[in-house]
Amino acid sequence: MSVMKPEKLSLHRHSSTRVCGVVFSLSLFSIGLTIARADPVSELASFSIFDKVDLAQLAKSDVKTAHGPPMRNPRFLAVQSCYVSGGSPSQQMDALRRWDATRHRELKVFLHSDLPSNPAPGNFEKLKNAPDNASVRSFVAATQKLSSDLQVSREEAKKFSAGTGGAGGGAIPAPVVAFWSDVLTARTKSFVSGGMAAQPSYDHAGPSIRASDEVNGLLREQEKIRRQFSGLLGATGIGRGAGSLKPELYWELLDVDDQGVVTLGASYSRSGAAGTFQAADVLYYASGGYYVALTLYQLWPVTVEGKPSTLAWRGDMISAASLGSLHGVERLGSESVMMKNISKAVTLFRRDSGGR
Amino acid sequence: MEGKPVKMFALRFLILLLSAPIFFATPAFSEEGNNSFWHMSGEYVAEETYVGEGDVERGGKHVNDFDEIDSNLRFVLTPRTSIGVLRLGAEWERFSFGFPEKTALPNTLQSFSTVIGLDMQFSDSIIVRAEGQPGLYDSGLGHLDWDDFNLPFLVGGTYIFSPNVQLVLGVSVDVERKYPVIPAAGLRWKLAPQWLLDAVLPTPRLQYEMNRHVSLYAGATFKEASYRVDEDFGDSHGITRLNNAIVTYSEVRTGAGFDWKISPIVTFTGEVGYQPYRDFDFYRAEVRYHQDGGAPYGTISLHGAF
Repeated sequence: MSVMKPEKLSLHRHSSTRVCGVVFSLSLFSIGLTIARADPVSELASFSIFDKVDLAQLAKSDVKTAHGPPMRNPRFLAVQSCYVSGGSPSQQMDALRRWDATRHRELKVFLHSDLPSNPAPGNFEKLKNAPDNASVRSFVAATQKLSSDLQVSREEAKKFSAGTGGAGGGAIPAPVVAFWSDVLTARTKSFVSGGMAAQPSYDHAGPSIRASDEVNGLLREQEKIRRQFSGLLGATGIGRGAGSLKPELYWELLDVDDQGVVTLGASYSRSGAAGTFQAADVLYYASGGYYVALTLYQLWPVTVEGKPSTLAWRGDMISAASLGSLHGVERLGSESVMMKNISKAVTLFRRDSGGR
Repeated sequence: MEGKPVKMFALRFLILLLSAPIFFATPAFSEEGNNSFWHMSGEYVAEETYVGEGDVERGGKHVNDFDEIDSNLRFVLTPRTSIGVLRLGAEWERFSFGFPEKTALPNTLQSFSTVIGLDMQFSDSIIVRAEGQPGLYDSGLGHLDWDDFNLPFLVGGTYIFSPNVQLVLGVSVDVERKYPVIPAAGLRWKLAPQWLLDAVLPTPRLQYEMNRHVSLYAGATFKEASYRVDEDFGDSHGITRLNNAIVTYSEVRTGAGFDWKISPIVTFTGEVGYQPYRDFDFYRAEVRYHQDGGAPYGTISLHGAF
């Protein structure tokens, strides 16, 4: 059980006078871990909003969603969901890797491309093939006038003014493609070398916003979740410097509220004790619409009606300026839509992957 | 410890929520309303409407050229609780009419009410609001009495069909009203990035968002409430059966206006238009004054949420 190694190693550093106590503590820890692993429902209840889950019932039903705990920062919103799928957690992770969500038009992802760890502007040349639609046109217009809605740094904004004289192209003119290719290349490189902490602020217009502060704020306001995933997150570049885990990097052009947005993402996962898995996917940069978005996954192996299955918990959290203007029932409505969208996404995934 | 890259496309569904600001929110108004000095959310309205000279008529008796001032103050706290969003506050509204002397209509209709309600999330598609406004509904402060107490309330549900389309069904209940139960249905449809059809009572509108700070709209305002007049109102106005009577006042305004978002928590609204319908109905006493001539009106308002 590789996840136990750090604890075991640290045990040997203790002095002999403390060995008995440490061993006793470790035994208790191990017993607790065994109980927790033997009872995924209890572990789920320990950090999530789902304090009572009937596995058999959940296996027969659609995904269960609930809004996360209220957060003090009005920019933040979180939704949690859980469901049971057929197959083991590792099979579920494989299915997630294979799943091609771009087949579903409702995702409004216009372009998607994986990125190497040392990208060049050429890795973003798909931008030239962007569809000619209202969303992309508004993205182009916002870029050309360096709209205050654009989330870039002052330094990045200066680079655009130097490149506005180029020739036109497809839906996205060449100077706009060149500008974003440079911005996205540089931001990907800085993420690879220094994690989210190395990302330039969004300070082109308005107050300076750091994506790493936003994601750390999201996690700080959900302490139980932060603790549950501290091991995984500590090995990633999410909200901190570059971690030891190697991320899968990607970029996308998508629609957010009828506005084209280019975004950079990184995904991580690792196996845990007793066949469990944890995963994290962060959108650490967006040209507009939202500051940062994070999805965490916890998968446990369970047996339902004699069949190997997976109990999955998923936490989706987002920070966006537009959420700050929502109050009362408006906020409730946004949470409802977020829950609805996540339910839809999970349902599509389970249908595509044969999990249900 | 095994580290594997994984791609979770499902996350991208999450960001569709940003097209979801519903129930009167304006997505482009993206400035943050972070009231860090007070961690309590709420909403407020301070509104004044002047309606120019209009006419009503009852059985050949005309009441001509009277104006109206409608003043409204409303403050509601909206704290989040485990069962939903509470709505706790107060509202004052006063209609002042410039009637000629001896008109058998009250010069003032006024309400002081508390607002007690709850918004609940029934599922990821349904949000339900239950709200009552217990208070005093009378014709002025002269003769306050428990008879003036009323408890109109509403129960409504919003079905979130998609981030761009929501259906609203509701029922308004006022036991003092001629028709105590009035059902209503509405639709909220984001037709295009800048166009919103908000066909929900009491203020259905078609809205066009010019920029992040200014929206234009055309629409209507429906108002209806019941008030109890003074015990000697009938005696002093020549119709004794109007003593202590209930009058249901209704009006409809149609017009166009603008919302100017001055700050994340302050919006200024200006509206002008025409009032095509007005009705004073002492339905139990069978005395009814109905619209005989419309009138222009103008409204200014400061409102917002924090």
